[in-house]
Amino acid sequence: MRRFTTLLLIVCLAATTSFGGGYQVGLHSMRNIGMGLIGTSLSYDASSLFYNPGGSPFIKDQWSFSGGVSFLLARTTFQPLNVMEQYNLEHKLNTPFYFYAAYKPTANLSIGLAVNTPYGNSLSWGETWKGRYLIQDLSFRAITFQPTVSYKIKDVVGIGVGLVYAYGAFDMNKAIPLQGSNGDGTLNINGSTGNFGFNAGIMVHPETGWSLGLSYRSKIEMSVTSANADFTVPQSLSSNFPKNKVDVMLPLPANLDFGASYEFGKDKQWMIGMNLCYVFWSTYDSLIFDFQTKTAAVNRTATPALYTDQLIMRIGAQYKASDLLTIRLGGYYDPTPVKNSYLNPQTPSMNQIGMTCGISIYPTKGLSIDAAFLYILGVERSGTYSPDNFAGTYKNALYSPGIGLTYSF
Amino acid sequence: MKKILFIILSLAVFTSCERKIDEFKVEKGSANFSTYIAVGNSMMAGYADGALYRTGQMYSIPNIIAGQLKLAGSGNFVQPVVNNDFGVDFPGARPKLIMGYPVDCKGTVSLGPVPATGTLEPAAPVGYQVNNLAIPGAKSFHMLFPGYALFNPYYARFATNANNMVVQEIAPLNPTFFTLWLGDNDVLGYALSGGVGDTITSPALFQQAMGGVITALVANGAKGVLANIPDVTAIPFFTTIPYNGLVLTQSQADSINMAMALYQLPFHYSAGPNPFLVNEPNSPHPYFKVRQMQPGELVLLSVPQDSLKCKGMGIIDPGNPFQPYPIPSQYVLTINEITMIKSMTAAYNTILFNLAANFNLGFVDMSANLRLLQKGIVWDGIKMTSTFVTGGAFSLDGVHLNPRGCAVAANYFIDAINLKYGSTIPQVNITNYPGVIFP
Repeated sequence: MRRFTTLLLIVCLAATTSFGGGYQVGLHSMRNIGMGLIGTSLSYDASSLFYNPGGSPFIKDQWSFSGGVSFLLARTTFQPLNVMEQYNLEHKLNTPFYFYAAYKPTANLSIGLAVNTPYGNSLSWGETWKGRYLIQDLSFRAITFQPTVSYKIKDVVGIGVGLVYAYGAFDMNKAIPLQGSNGDGTLNINGSTGNFGFNAGIMVHPETGWSLGLSYRSKIEMSVTSANADFTVPQSLSSNFPKNKVDVMLPLPANLDFGASYEFGKDKQWMIGMNLCYVFWSTYDSLIFDFQTKTAAVNRTATPALYTDQLIMRIGAQYKASDLLTIRLGGYYDPTPVKNSYLNPQTPSMNQIGMTCGISIYPTKGLSIDAAFLYILGVERSGTYSPDNFAGTYKNALYSPGIGLTYSF
Repeated sequence: MKKILFIILSLAVFTSCERKIDEFKVEKGSANFSTYIAVGNSMMAGYADGALYRTGQMYSIPNIIAGQLKLAGSGNFVQPVVNNDFGVDFPGARPKLIMGYPVDCKGTVSLGPVPATGTLEPAAPVGYQVNNLAIPGAKSFHMLFPGYALFNPYYARFATNANNMVVQEIAPLNPTFFTLWLGDNDVLGYALSGGVGDTITSPALFQQAMGGVITALVANGAKGVLANIPDVTAIPFFTTIPYNGLVLTQSQADSINMAMALYQLPFHYSAGPNPFLVNEPNSPHPYFKVRQMQPGELVLLSVPQDSLKCKGMGIIDPGNPFQPYPIPSQYVLTINEITMIKSMTAAYNTILFNLAANFNLGFVDMSANLRLLQKGIVWDGIKMTSTFVTGGAFSLDGVHLNPRGCAVAANYFIDAINLKYGSTIPQVNITNYPGVIFP
């Protein structure tokens, strides 16, 4: 019990991290992680509430619960252009988590709740590193709550929609190039906010074995009003940097997903699937800080991001080895939304190749213990954050073992 | 299954440890950096904040370059170290400037440069050979002037023989590589004197002197880079006080207009900024040889600020209201003087460019670099301009660079070295170098 409480505590305090193109996280169900993060055409359990609300009426059982946590370890290396020293960014252990509950009051109607962490970013470059005037450390966490209702017509078409409430908190520190006897000035900004969006999807089972899904998760504008902004500057300049509040705007991008999967073989032992995910990253034009008390030195600042929309391609496969064991494999390619001239150490983004595997063990009927492992290779990338003339080469690697439980009855 | 998972896990951990980026590889290319020397003036000596002091020398451009050349096999770089952090004592010397709270003639306290409180170090010979031969105040032809140590206390600190020419210091050092940034003072001396207390070196003499210096430097086959001369009128010393810095209220303007009518001077004043008065020997007026300053003309940072603020300098002295009070000529650069400075600088730069080509040296276009700084440059999120104090690149004397500015300049030299000799000397991380320190 104590262990469970500890786990729960870790889960509740979870910070998530950026991986993939930008600050979007893809760790939402061990079964899906095992299959290269595909899920738009799948309806094995309550995770379809998130992956495609149109899929939840196809869940076989009346009740379905799924929960789990990933342990995400990442490492980013940075080699500044033309300079000797190299920097290693040690990410903190991040634990993105999920919990889904779906219930079918009738054979064709499904209601449910999805709670997970689809966006986040957490990194710490240190206080004295070369890019400290851009970023020292940053932690951004978003947790979403999604009550969902879905309906299916015959066993062919399912549609569903969920209302998404996102709660986000962030904390960032950067240095300011105004020096006193104690070194650089600093700026800390921290705050939290919540806002609404939606998640809607449709799933079609055109013929035996086949499943097609289309889902759309809307953009959510995370605008924080009156976040705390604390400047530390030399005393002689402090009147220019009063204790301040700041309005911050960060959009969580919309996602359009298409998925297809096919089950075949004896007792549908095999399943293969694919997923195309179009991320509307271009909504992230700039990170805007609008300080409420304006002075000659403190004003509205926009940090240009100029992200571009991207298509993530994923494939996965599943094999039911026995009634007790299912194994999964998958992979994907997640291209970066960040242009070379806007490559910022705040979100050191690069093209990523993901490789995944997973298993489910069924100790008793209805219960499965799901485990998955994800390894991501970041493709070495050079770029400059041109507004700050900060240039160098980035490379990263992430790996994330995770464990979860699914219970259906 | 467990086995597979184990294999994948170990593979992942293994590959993750291998996620390294190639480290910066230092190559010396076709140059030999083993003995590096620097020749120049105050810009290369580490002079800053109006003094030559220990910390400034530590962050001198050649010392920063030398630190990087060490990675490519360069030996120790010896400077004529000042042991204290205030400056060298000789007639007229003052301690370095620091940011503080000066009180002006009106009793107003503001944030600005003030002299640090400290004792200057007696100007005594250091007693050892140095690699940094840069001498504050030195002009091109001073390098070939026997006994220059008698006239320049900074050279006297490290001259190996009082009767030496500076170029005679070079051969005993047996340099393999050098940086040369000299010649600013040939025109800057004139500019700093407001065009009245110094002369501009003639291009012919400049060419002869620079040619002589380079000949001495390359005598033993040394390679090196040469920097040209930026437009000295673009530095904060000349750009901080505006020509129309006389700010008046309506009633002040009214009384001045009345006085000007009495003087029979055709100048009109209004509320807000107005041009200062300066001397004009060619004025048609029988008594008052003055005129208003023109846009583009410059007031020097050395102008006595209290006289401007409280004594009516630039307009009318309230203690002597019967005549106008122009800013004395040594604090002003007129259009003619500025034109002269710029055309001479252009002539010097043509000479330097040709010398670099003739002697097959690397070339640093400091003139272009200062133009970039005027518009504003950004490195690693640090925005720098040529503005006094807030620009972040110049030291508090408004002429010399601060350590951060020196680091940027050192990187320009390093780029030129790499370009010319195919070496890969790393740049310095400029964020490691302090800018202006505020209280």
